[in-house]
Parts: sequence; structure tokens; C-alpha cells
Amino acid sequence: MKTGMDFEDLMEEAYQLPNGAAKLGLLEEAARVADINGMVEEAYEARSEIVDAATFCGYPMKALIAFSWQLGKFDQQPELYDEETLLWSYKWILGKMPDFPEISREKIMELLEDFGARFKSYGYSERSYWYYRFRIFMDFGEMEEAGRSYDKFRMLDRDFMSDCEACEQDEILRYFMLKGDDEKVLEVAKPILKGRMSCAEIPHLTLSEVLMPLYRLGRKDEADKHQVKGYRLIKGENDFVQSFSEQMEYLTLTNPAKGIDILEETLVLAADHEDAYAKMMYYAKAASLLRRWTEEKDSEGYRLRLPASFPYEGEPGDLLKLADYFEEYARATAAKFDQRNGNTHVSSLIA
Amino acid sequence: MSTPNEYRFQVNLSGMIQILSNHLYSSPKVFLRELMQNATDAITARKEVEPGYQGEARIELTGTGDQLTMMVEDNGVGLTEADIHEFLAMIGQSSKRGQQALLDGETSFIGRFGIGLLSCFMVSHEIVMLTQSVKGGPSMEWRGKPDGTYTIRQLDTQLSPGTKVYLRCTPEAAHYFEAEYVKEALFYYGALLPYPVTLIHDGVQSVVNQDSPIWLTRPELARSCRAEVLAFGERLLGEKFQDFIPLTTASGRTGGIAYVLPHAVNLNAKRSHRVYLKRMLISEKAENILPEWAFFVKCLIWTDELQPTASREHFYENEKLEEVRSELGDALRLGLTEMAEQQTERLQKLIRLHALSMKALAVQDQQFYAMIHRWLPFETTRGHRELGELIDEGETLYYTGSIDEYRQIHHVASAQSMLVVNAGYIYDKELMAMLPVIMNNVETERIEPDEVSMTFTDVAPAERNQYYDALRLADSALQRFRCRAEVKGFKPADLPVLFTLSQESSTLRALEKASEESTDLFSSVLGSLSSGINSAGYSTLYLNVNNPIIKRVLTSPDNQMTPIAIEMLYVNALMMGHYAMNKQELEVLNQGIVRFIDWGLRANTNHEGDA
Repeated sequence: MKTGMDFEDLMEEAYQLPNGAAKLGLLEEAARVADINGMVEEAYEARSEIVDAATFCGYPMKALIAFSWQLGKFDQQPELYDEETLLWSYKWILGKMPDFPEISREKIMELLEDFGARFKSYGYSERSYWYYRFRIFMDFGEMEEAGRSYDKFRMLDRDFMSDCEACEQDEILRYFMLKGDDEKVLEVAKPILKGRMSCAEIPHLTLSEVLMPLYRLGRKDEADKHQVKGYRLIKGENDFVQSFSEQMEYLTLTNPAKGIDILEETLVLAADHEDAYAKMMYYAKAASLLRRWTEEKDSEGYRLRLPASFPYEGEPGDLLKLADYFEEYARATAAKFDQRNGNTHVSSLIA
Repeated sequence: MSTPNEYRFQVNLSGMIQILSNHLYSSPKVFLRELMQNATDAITARKEVEPGYQGEARIELTGTGDQLTMMVEDNGVGLTEADIHEFLAMIGQSSKRGQQALLDGETSFIGRFGIGLLSCFMVSHEIVMLTQSVKGGPSMEWRGKPDGTYTIRQLDTQLSPGTKVYLRCTPEAAHYFEAEYVKEALFYYGALLPYPVTLIHDGVQSVVNQDSPIWLTRPELARSCRAEVLAFGERLLGEKFQDFIPLTTASGRTGGIAYVLPHAVNLNAKRSHRVYLKRMLISEKAENILPEWAFFVKCLIWTDELQPTASREHFYENEKLEEVRSELGDALRLGLTEMAEQQTERLQKLIRLHALSMKALAVQDQQFYAMIHRWLPFETTRGHRELGELIDEGETLYYTGSIDEYRQIHHVASAQSMLVVNAGYIYDKELMAMLPVIMNNVETERIEPDEVSMTFTDVAPAERNQYYDALRLADSALQRFRCRAEVKGFKPADLPVLFTLSQESSTLRALEKASEESTDLFSSVLGSLSSGINSAGYSTLYLNVNNPIIKRVLTSPDNQMTPIAIEMLYVNALMMGHYAMNKQELEVLNQGIVRFIDWGLRANTNHEGDA
């Protein structure tokens, strides 16, 4: 068992694992061992890894907790640590903040300013500040403000602290998606779909995002291809819960049976997810999918395979009840977001 | 019409070479592959006009020092004067359109020939090519220099059809011209070529590639020549393999041998397979040709249906590649299926080495899971066991969702001989959750640390009533740690207390710890998050009535003594469980120790006083 392992063993074992709950478990253990033994720099190192791993496998809360600790230590003794790595992770943390409905709008704006001030103090381009401002206002559903930040950040030069071009392109795509401009969405998606821009998360995210726009424009054949390819890229990955919801939304309209497959395969990932926004989206789309599925002949007597850990007490064969369960959950979460944002932006997205 | 081509060529050649060496190729050593590829293309082209034609390539090394020269000769189609002009023009065009055109690789045979030839400038300051086309015409000589000047002339003598390329090595590239190196490299690139490749050095001739084995084109025959296949794999891939699975696609245009790696591999390890395109090595680092889960094999793959990039070192990620990838994956899966049905021992051996890979695949594919589930290893409270053995126990399989949870309960669970699987490792949780779906008669259930308490023996109400005062004192002492006390009986008896934490309270603990250390802004952000968790976040300290000390604490409540004893037991439980303590808890520990020492000493003095 892992009880007697020392810091180095734990870290080494963690390094060998891909991002996921198992890796996080080891890293948290390593941080604990370092804490208990007063090894501050080691504890910092372990938390850097936690932030990295947690951000990309569905544990934004764990990432935030570890990052907060790091930032505190950094401010006490900045000369001990590398500011670039830390401020690079600040971008991830900031980007996820709006996904926690418990965090108020004021607090998020304060964080944005803190982020901007820190970037400025190290002489980094202001572009990152405006880019994240753009993203945050999109999350709030304040499209005009988002638009102003959009114009602003694109005027500024990129620097080494900027997000990669593929990721930025995907956020721009989201902007036009929120504005409901399908043609523009596809235009923006083009360099990604052509393979000219890519990174660890792109085109993974994009392939699912373009499904509905393509469908609405009557380009189902293309959409079908992207659906298959997109799902292959994200299958089994905790990081893409929102993409699963987009896949389900599309399949609800085109191939509910396939959608049910995806629901069964991915529910275990979604149910365990710390990102309230992604989970809400997933539950909302799962509800519509289940309702649509009950209209199919094959759904008669069908019992949805629920993960063993799923906290649903009812009968898995009563698909409509299950749909209600998912929908209720999604609505309750949306209501929290609406209250925080002071508008009905989020609930309108799942209506 | 004639001057512009020449102009482009002369202006851009040095730039082209820059592009080639810096961007297109991974290393200068590929010039040899490029020459081999040109020879192969030329021989293939000749075979198309003359079926049954026996191709051949000869490489000769002569001279030493700055006279060291390499000659590469093939008996393929050869080039006419017009062909030579065409490839030069093509290069000019490519360079005008810039690097992107090159990288897109949309070039014809002649164009590729020229680009391949140019790669020789990375190792030689002069390229001389003598060529005679099968189409007739005079024999031609082309001499090119890296500054872009070149000459073309007709030879007086008539050569036999084919092409010879002469390279004089630059001082920096001398090691690429050493006979030993050239021999290895020729085998490396051309081991699968269907015609003989001969190296001539110091008057000694040797054929570098043996006859290409029959199972290369018909992998289904590989099984009957096991030893040969394994030996070939060892020579080419440099590892001593013990097992392999033949691969084919439906079209028969891609095939290969998947060698099972004889050692366990890291999940993050680069999955590099060696791929031959039309019998020429194209890549030894092809990662994208097999599905991700196939990290337990190293493959030798040949294909003639995929499109290479301009450097001829990788494949384009297109639909064709995707199709080939999924077919190769199916072939691999089929191989495993057959093993599960017919040669379980072989499969067992494979699973022992590559359990993670097998689990990754099982998570994606239920049928596969059903087939191999018996041999998958898990860590349990009864040691490392295979799933089959666990199922045979006929009990409900309890499993934890994380290593953390397992760590919290495994002492207690194993003391009570409760069967709990540590499913915190990657894929294990999913596999345990799926198990009842694939096996009708098996039950699994996820267990939370605080549920282990269910297997504790309850204390009868009458007895509990005796402890009422002590428990009330305990609860109020623990309240500030958001913890409550409960009395239970459990094994082992020498374990006085057990601390359990639900998922929520575990998050809360981490949150508070970070909050203590962080900036004001982040502390307040964490504060807003914790408000959402607070209500659920109570942890439990179980007091074991079977433990004599606990029994005494419970039966003699004391307003002063009991709270301190309980607090000390609480921090002790934290330490036993390897929890990091917050400031408040550390204080309890420090004060508690001092106070106990004080009492101990005082009791001692009083005692002496009595005497």
C-alpha cells in the first residue's frame, strides 16, 4: 500500500501516470507528506503538478485549492519560485472561475484585475488580460463587453505568455456561437478543421462544437464525419464533458441510439465532475436525449446503464423519470449561475 | 520560356537547402534514404513497363579523406534530358511557392526525385549524376553545386539504363560515409526491399538485405514461422521479443507484425512503431498508425496506401490513416480474442506484463472486457489478486473510488476480513462499475470511507446511555474541528479511534489548509466555495469500545480530562491517517503534550508526597 511511501517515490509514480484521478491521488498524497515534514519547496512542486493535472481532467476545484496555496507561498518568498510557471497556471485558474456559481461576479472581476496587475508587473503583454476579460464576459453572457474586449485583445501583440493560437481561435469560435452566427462559426473553425491549428485540446473541442452549426446549415454529412472523429479524440477523457454534451445534442436530432451509447459511456465521467457548468450542460443534454429516445421503438423496456456510483435511487428503466432527474439538476445549477450573473444567460442556454 | 526557370533555380537553391536541412528532414543522415527511395521509385517504374524485371541497387565507397566518395547506382528507368530539366524546374517551382508547397508533398515522381537528390547537399558539396533512360536517347551527366550552379552535358559513351549518383563527402559529414555506418543504415532503411542492395567497399561485396520473407506480404503465415519472425524482429527492432500478433487490413494493402513488448511500459511512453511505405522505411517513430491503447506492442508495419509528408518521414493525418488505424486496432483485438479462446496461458503472461494496456482497452470495449476479465489484476484487502479469483469468492465486491479512500479504510476493512478493491488506480473504478454489466452473477458496490462504519458493531442503547456524558464532552471538544464522535465496536481492538472523512469534508480540509496559506483575495474566494460545502462537511471520529483505554475514557467522564483526551485522540487519528494538520490542530497537539507531561509529573510528585 502507499502508506509508507516517501515524497520522491510518490512523485515518481505520479509522473508515470496520465492525468486522472489516480495521478491526483498520488500528488495529493505527496503534497501531504511534504506538508507534514515541513518540506515547503517540495510541497510547492507537488501542488504545481496538481494544478496541471487537475485543470485538465475535470477537477478545477482541486486545481484552485492547490493554486491558492502556491500563490500564498509565492508572495511570501517570490525569489524561491519560478514566476512564469505560476502565472501561466493563473490563466487556467482564472479561466475556470466563472464555472463556479458560488463565486460572485465582483470576486471574479477582482481576480481578473489581480491577474492583470501581476502580468503587468512582470512586463508581460496586456493581451492576456484582455483575452481573459473577453472569455469571462462571455461566461457572464455580457456579449457587448465581451465584444469590446475581443476588439481590444486582437489589436495587441502576442507574447510568450499568450494562449496558443488554436485555443484562442476556439474561444473566438465560441464568441460567434453565443452570438448565433453559424456561418461565422464555421469560417472561424476552418483553420482548425483543416489541421492548420492544433494543440492538446484542439481540434478535440472544436469538432464537437461545430456539429450543431453544421446541422442547422444542412451540412449533415460533414457533421457526421466530425462527430465520429471528434468522439474518437475525446472518448474516455474527463476533460471533455462539455464536448460530450454537444455530441449528445447533435445525436438527439440525428441518431438517438448512438447518443444513448455515448451517454452510457460518459456518464461516469460527468457525474464525478467538479466543473458545475460542464456538468450542467451535460445533464441538460442528457435529459433531452432521453426524452427523444423514448420515442424510438428500441427504447421499449430499455434500462439505462448507470454507473455504480451514480446517486439516483429510481428505476433505470423509467427513462422519462430519469430525464426529469437530469433536467432538474441542470435547472437548479442554471438558476445559481443566473443569480450570480444577474441575468438569464445560462438558463437560456439549456432551455 | 527557357530563362525564367533557370533564374528561379539559381536564386533559390541555397535557400532551398536551408529549408531542407532545417525544416524538412530530421537529420542530414536521411540523404541515404532519399537516394534509396529514388532508386526504388526508378526500379518500380521500370517494372511497370517490364513485368518481372529484376531490379538491383549497388552502393560503392571509394577513396579516403577529402577524396571519400559514395556512388549509388540503380538499374531503374533512368532519366532523359527532358526529365532532368523537368525536375529542376519542379524544384524551382517548389521553392517559389515556398516551404508550404514542399510540406504539402503534392509532387510527382520526378519532382520527388529532385527534392530527394537535393537532400544530398546536406552532406556533399557536389552531386554528379550519370543517367541513361530506358526510353533511349544519349546518356547524360548532371553536375550540381549548392550555390545553384550546374551543368548538363551529353556523354560520348552509351551507358546501360539506370542512374548513378556520386557524392564527395564534406568534412563534417565524413561519419555518414563510413562503411560500417552505411551498411547499418542501408539495412535500417531497406531491410524489406524486394530487390538486392549490395555494398562494395575495399573490393568486398556484400548483400545488405536478405531475401524478404514470405510472411511479410502474407502475415497470416507468420504464425507458422515463429522463430524466424521473432529473430527478424530482434534484428530490426533491437529487442528480444517472445510473442507477436500478425496484423492485416481488409484491403491487404497494409499489414505487419505487432511484437509484444517483453517489458512493462509506461502509459506516457511514446508509442513508436516502425513503418515501411512501399517497402522503404518511412518512420521509426510513427505514433499515429495504431490506436492509443496499443502501447503494449511495437509494430513493424508496411503499407502502400498511405500518403507520406514531403520529408517522407511521417504520414498525413487523413481519413485513410484513420481507417487503417482502426483496422489495425481490430486486427490486434482479434489476435487477443483468439488468445483468450485458445491459448489462455499466453494471454495471462501478456496481461501480467501489460495490465494497464489491457485495462485501457477493456474500459472501451465491453466484449473484450468480458473475455479477459478473469486475468486482470487488482489490489485488494486480501492482497494482489486476479479478478477471476475475487469473483470466485462469491461476495459483493466493494471498491473505493480513490487511493485516498482506500488508504483511509483498508486497515479496518482487512481487520474485519471485508473484501475491498482499491479502484483508485487508473481505469479500475470504471472496470469495477462495469463488472455487473458484463457478468450477470457478480455484484459490485462503491464504498465510501464513512460506510465502512456500517460493518462496525453497534453499541446497545443501554450501554451507549452510560457513555452519554463522555460523548457530550467529546462532541463539544470536536465541534471546532467540524467533527463528531461516535461509539462503535470494531477490530482490531488495539486501534483506539478511527477518523473518516467524506468526500465533502475531505475537500473542505484541503480548502481550509490552502486558505490559511493564500493571499487575502484567494482566501475569500475559497471562503465562498466552502460555504457551499459546510453543511455536509462533518467528519467522524469513531471511538472503539473494544479498546481498553477508550473504555476508560468513556466510563470516567471528567470535565477537564475528557476533552483533552478526545482532542489528543483526534490529532493522533489524523497523524495515523497521514492527514496534514492545520494550525489549530497543531496547537492542540503541542498544548496537549505539555499538559500531559505536566499531569504526569504532578501525579508523580503527589504520589511521592503520599509516601
